[in-house]
Amino acid sequence: MKKVTIDPITRLEGHGKIEIFLNDDGDVANAYLQIPELRGFEKFCEGRPVEEMPRIVPRICGV
Amino acid sequence: MAKLKLALYWAAACGGCDVAVLDINDKILDVAKLADIVFWPIALDFKYKDVEAMPDKSIDVCLFNGAIRSSEQEHIAKMLRNKSKVLVSFGACACFGGIPALANFTNRTEIMQRVYIEAPSNENPNKILPQTVTRVPEGEITLPELYETVLTLAQVVPVEYFVPGCPPTVPLILKVVDALATNTLPPPGATIPSAKTLCDECDRKKENKKISKIYRTHELIPDSQRCLLEQGLLCMGPATRGGCGLQCISVNVPCRGCFGPPAGVVDQGAKLVGAVASIYEANSDDEIARMVNEVVDPAGTFYRFGMSSSLLKGKCPQRT
Repeated sequence: MKKVTIDPITRLEGHGKIEIFLNDDGDVANAYLQIPELRGFEKFCEGRPVEEMPRIVPRICGV
Repeated sequence: MAKLKLALYWAAACGGCDVAVLDINDKILDVAKLADIVFWPIALDFKYKDVEAMPDKSIDVCLFNGAIRSSEQEHIAKMLRNKSKVLVSFGACACFGGIPALANFTNRTEIMQRVYIEAPSNENPNKILPQTVTRVPEGEITLPELYETVLTLAQVVPVEYFVPGCPPTVPLILKVVDALATNTLPPPGATIPSAKTLCDECDRKKENKKISKIYRTHELIPDSQRCLLEQGLLCMGPATRGGCGLQCISVNVPCRGCFGPPAGVVDQGAKLVGAVASIYEANSDDEIARMVNEVVDPAGTFYRFGMSSSLLKGKCPQRT
């Protein structure tokens, strides 16, 4: 099956790629959105003082 | 003069560095006169294959923001290194690891467990975790490998210049643009802003006072004229490079060190520990223990932006 990869997706905040599989007729059989990035705020904010959160979590997204 | 070819990229980052470039407002038109942008995912639709097809050293300057925490980010860093004459480590994450490097206090397994299994917003009964290769009915799809440890850009490729900050300030970005326009970049290896500490540039009154208590930021409304550290608030000023325009200090908020260590300082956190200890007014073991305990998150405070470039590096020093 033919695969079309759009990598990276652009003009948005964040990272992503799209993988599109085409059948023999050239029609889309399926498409997958992949997010190739993880930083782990959910984990590394644990144990940090709560009053520091306003200075840490804005860096989830600066756009 | 032929137009420069300029690339901008983000690795493990929030996009704030890219937006900071746009924050130069109408000066972006000067950049457009000076340079053609050949790659900038946030703003323009060029793909990785377009960059791969460029001849080596065909990009004049690449501003690279974000830390390196996956195989894809390391791959793109190496590709942009090969394609660029000048590679600039842009922003705190690329320079020192930044906020993403707080992950170096944990590891990949714990992060995956928390994010994909335990987080209350998840519904993942089969406990599916991201895989580098996944078989799907139509074929195979892939993801990069997440590293155990967050790295700086300079830990994976050689870098010509360092422009720190979370994000770099507009005057600092204009300084870089001006240096490019007039071909007056400093010798390679330079960090662009001042070699001084933030304290050297701070205009608050210092009285060489000792402190007998460390306050958390919500426990005290500090005097806006006096040194924050001398009022008992942990301020990274003595261990941080100046050049930020005192943005946090001027709104009565203590520094957290996003400009990294000043010239000649190897480890920013160790430098700050030394600076704080030197003004402690503690005359017994008990008092010393109390004041040490008043610092609620020493590692996450002293290494807020600098875990990757510190001597500690993290809890898991080995790569992969």
